[in-house]
Amino acid sequence: MSETGASPVFEVEGVRFAYPGQPPCLDGVTFEVGRGERLALVGANGSGKSTLLHLLDGLFFPESGRVAYLGSDLTERALDSAPFGPLFRREVGFLFQNSEAQLFCPTVEDELAFGPLQMGWAEDEVLRRIEDTLALLEIGKLQDRAPAALSAGERKRVALASLLVLAPSVLLLDEPTAGLDPRSQSLLLGILEALHGRGLTLVTATHDLTLLPHLADRVVVLSEEHRIVADGPPENVLADTDLLLAVNLIHAHSHRHGRLVHSHPHQHVVAHDHGHEHEE
Amino acid sequence: MTALPEWLRTGADPEGAPPRRPPPHRLLRRTLAALGRSLALLVPAFEGTDSGPLRAADPRAKLIAAVGLIVVATSLRGAVPLAACIAITVGLAAGAKVAPRRLLPALVAVPLASAALMLPATLNLVSAGAPLLVLWRPAGGGLGPWRLPEVVAVTSEGLLVAGRMVLRTTACAALALLLAATTRPQRLLGGLRSLGVPQAFVLVLAMAERYLAVLLRSAQELHLARLARSVAPLGVRREEAWAAAGMGAMFRRTRSLADAVTLAMISRGFSGEVRLLRPTRWRGRDWLLVGAAAAVAAALLVLDRRPA
Repeated sequence: MSETGASPVFEVEGVRFAYPGQPPCLDGVTFEVGRGERLALVGANGSGKSTLLHLLDGLFFPESGRVAYLGSDLTERALDSAPFGPLFRREVGFLFQNSEAQLFCPTVEDELAFGPLQMGWAEDEVLRRIEDTLALLEIGKLQDRAPAALSAGERKRVALASLLVLAPSVLLLDEPTAGLDPRSQSLLLGILEALHGRGLTLVTATHDLTLLPHLADRVVVLSEEHRIVADGPPENVLADTDLLLAVNLIHAHSHRHGRLVHSHPHQHVVAHDHGHEHEE
Repeated sequence: MTALPEWLRTGADPEGAPPRRPPPHRLLRRTLAALGRSLALLVPAFEGTDSGPLRAADPRAKLIAAVGLIVVATSLRGAVPLAACIAITVGLAAGAKVAPRRLLPALVAVPLASAALMLPATLNLVSAGAPLLVLWRPAGGGLGPWRLPEVVAVTSEGLLVAGRMVLRTTACAALALLLAATTRPQRLLGGLRSLGVPQAFVLVLAMAERYLAVLLRSAQELHLARLARSVAPLGVRREEAWAAAGMGAMFRRTRSLADAVTLAMISRGFSGEVRLLRPTRWRGRDWLLVGAAAAVAAALLVLDRRPA
């Protein structure tokens, strides 16, 4: 059971993973994700957040340990077999950090149709869902455009639409707001909040602490040694300055107030209290 | 505050640094830019709507007609039937409202490129025949292991061979471009698949169509990044080393992008088969298209075999 008391959607037990010829990028990682939970995986660059999302989506498989979805182990064999494989792919959507790679069809409409057609759904239903999803994300005018010709914000919305059209119950989001302007970022966060209101489970990998109040009820912190070093509510994690300094999510910062110079742990947007001495 | 080293604070050149010269990469930069513009025209080739008899036809019918005509065009020998084939293709493109700039690569770039490739064939060194224009009189003798003729000249037979090849390649390229410009890429790929072309081949084509422009942009960025830090020519060896390193970096990026795309496809339930929205159905008019293409092909062959 997860900390929220909900039955686990994902169980990750003692997972170790390394890319070929490289040292492990996840080492002894254990946690659970409850149904309807909003979990953020935070850590510095290279701490293993994105890799962990790939493991949760059954795209990579651990060297040791296990990853399970609704009690069933995520193995190549399980994902290649029906009905578990197609069901998992329909229920779990993965928003990649690189939308350029995620959008591989010639038009936005083809992009949205890809998943439902792979599921073998009837064409009328596919078209109806495409229309609804385009309207929901306010991208109807992009329907016949080529994804390559869209702005970063539009591409991100199309990528999200290509997942929502399958009506998933879990979304895995890899740095969802990276590279977005403030308006696109705000729109995306609003959509994710509405989806969470509908009961979706959201697992977000980010190193942007400013997103935590919008995206998470629970935060799992990965260290630069690729291990989980904290697991708790966002307010507890954000208040733990020593922890955030140790995992390289905030940094010691010096600045001037007129002739005064002082140093303190610093992250640019999140407001936090800290004691420090002024010296001339 | 972090203390900057002295050389970074002053921005001074080191002692004995050579005088600054402008970087010399204009040719490479222009070539990459021109390549980018050409690819931007070619990928994606399709634009507009599916209205009109040619655009709305079943992609399988168009594929059969285009491939059939291309095969016939490669066997034509006369200039008149080849020119007729090109004229028919241009006429069909105009009828289907294909923008003229879409056909430009076929009508300008392809003839120029094939003419350049065929230049040696115009000489009596390759095509024996009556000299038409004498270029050089080596007066016999040899060039290494080769024995040279009395004169090196353009021959009428050589011109005929080169001209025929230029017309053939132009006709084939125009037909292929007409097919691509009047058919949505997904439908074209679906058509290839339903005509029995292996799935792996169709997928490679689909990915090439989608990501060629992305990779070219990546190559341009790589070159511009290099250019932005170039202050002087490096010499041939180091330029070669840079070019090799650039190709390596491009290969890494290509592989990384290919991996990411594959994972994104699997993540959305890809089962190994291309599935289409609104699949087209073979109708009576598609038989008409195939029949008309067969008639044109037969007429071109008859025209070609007709005694002069």
